[in-house]
Amino acid sequence: MVVRQVAQVQGAPNMTAGLSDFLAGSVFGRLAEFLLSSVPGMPPILQTLHLLSICSIMASAAFVSLRILGLAVPSQQVSEMVQRLQPWTWYGVAGASVSGVWFVLARPERYFDNPVFQIKFTLLFFAVLFSVMLYRVGHGDPTGRQISTALRLKFRLLAGVVLLLWVTVLLAGRWIAYAEYLFW
Amino acid sequence: MNDFWLQLESHPLAGEIGATALFPLMESLHVLSICVLLGAIVMVDLRVLGLAALRYPVRIMVGELVPWAAWAFLAANITGLAMFITRASAHVQNPAFQIKMALLLLAGLNIALFHFRAFPAMIPGEKEGGTALMARLTAGLSLLLWCAVMLAGRWVGHVV
Repeated sequence: MVVRQVAQVQGAPNMTAGLSDFLAGSVFGRLAEFLLSSVPGMPPILQTLHLLSICSIMASAAFVSLRILGLAVPSQQVSEMVQRLQPWTWYGVAGASVSGVWFVLARPERYFDNPVFQIKFTLLFFAVLFSVMLYRVGHGDPTGRQISTALRLKFRLLAGVVLLLWVTVLLAGRWIAYAEYLFW
Repeated sequence: MNDFWLQLESHPLAGEIGATALFPLMESLHVLSICVLLGAIVMVDLRVLGLAALRYPVRIMVGELVPWAAWAFLAANITGLAMFITRASAHVQNPAFQIKMALLLLAGLNIALFHFRAFPAMIPGEKEGGTALMARLTAGLSLLLWCAVMLAGRWVGHVV
């Protein structure tokens, strides 16, 4: 409820109220509410699956970026890493979605009106977009061939952006519960 | 003994963290640390199990990824301790916290077993890509233990 107050303090129009009520009242919303409140241990179990999914994203997208930036796993080849680790990023995104959606369905108003949730999903959109770009370029491994310094620099910049985006998505996720510290 | 935890809790630093945005900052950095920690550990464990990254020798995977896990573990300890002192006396009595600490101890013993016994023993045979049974067992145990540590850790916040 604190979060709804936050939105009101900010003077934001409550445009999502209709959607929140619809989702919470739907079969999925009621199922989510039941699972989270009535099944013992369900919230920490789902949260752990969410965290493990994020680990999968970190182990793939973050470490590929760190490799391109020259900060980690120097023995591994970029193009080989991309081919091997790319699926783990998307498994991670899928796993995080499946484990996280229940919390939104059970209490949509807690999330839709929350500025940190909105920030997280904006960052997530760009994290996915830039990761796709990074993997496409990385498939051909521009660091392994004779290429211009400018192109190499662009590739590294892209890796830095991808790394920063995933880290901020993760941090924003944890801060959803603490929006009042930031927006009050 | 309980006095010690209460004293720790009443330390000005504990009050400062508990009452400000420092707490969520520490908590979010704790999550970042453990995700890097488990990310690195899982990559090593899957290689030792012979399930991934087979083109790289175990020695290289361990050498290049374990330092990341170690630094992440250090960061997780600092941020974890910062959160712990805000409610030290409650945490030491929290079954989830107690289980987490016991699991961490087991994970530590498992690491020692891998590094001092299983890992040195497997180096001669690794060229063929195969890894010794003991190394595989410690790697499998590592995966289980770290997932359990994570679950117990996440459960700490759900015990009232």
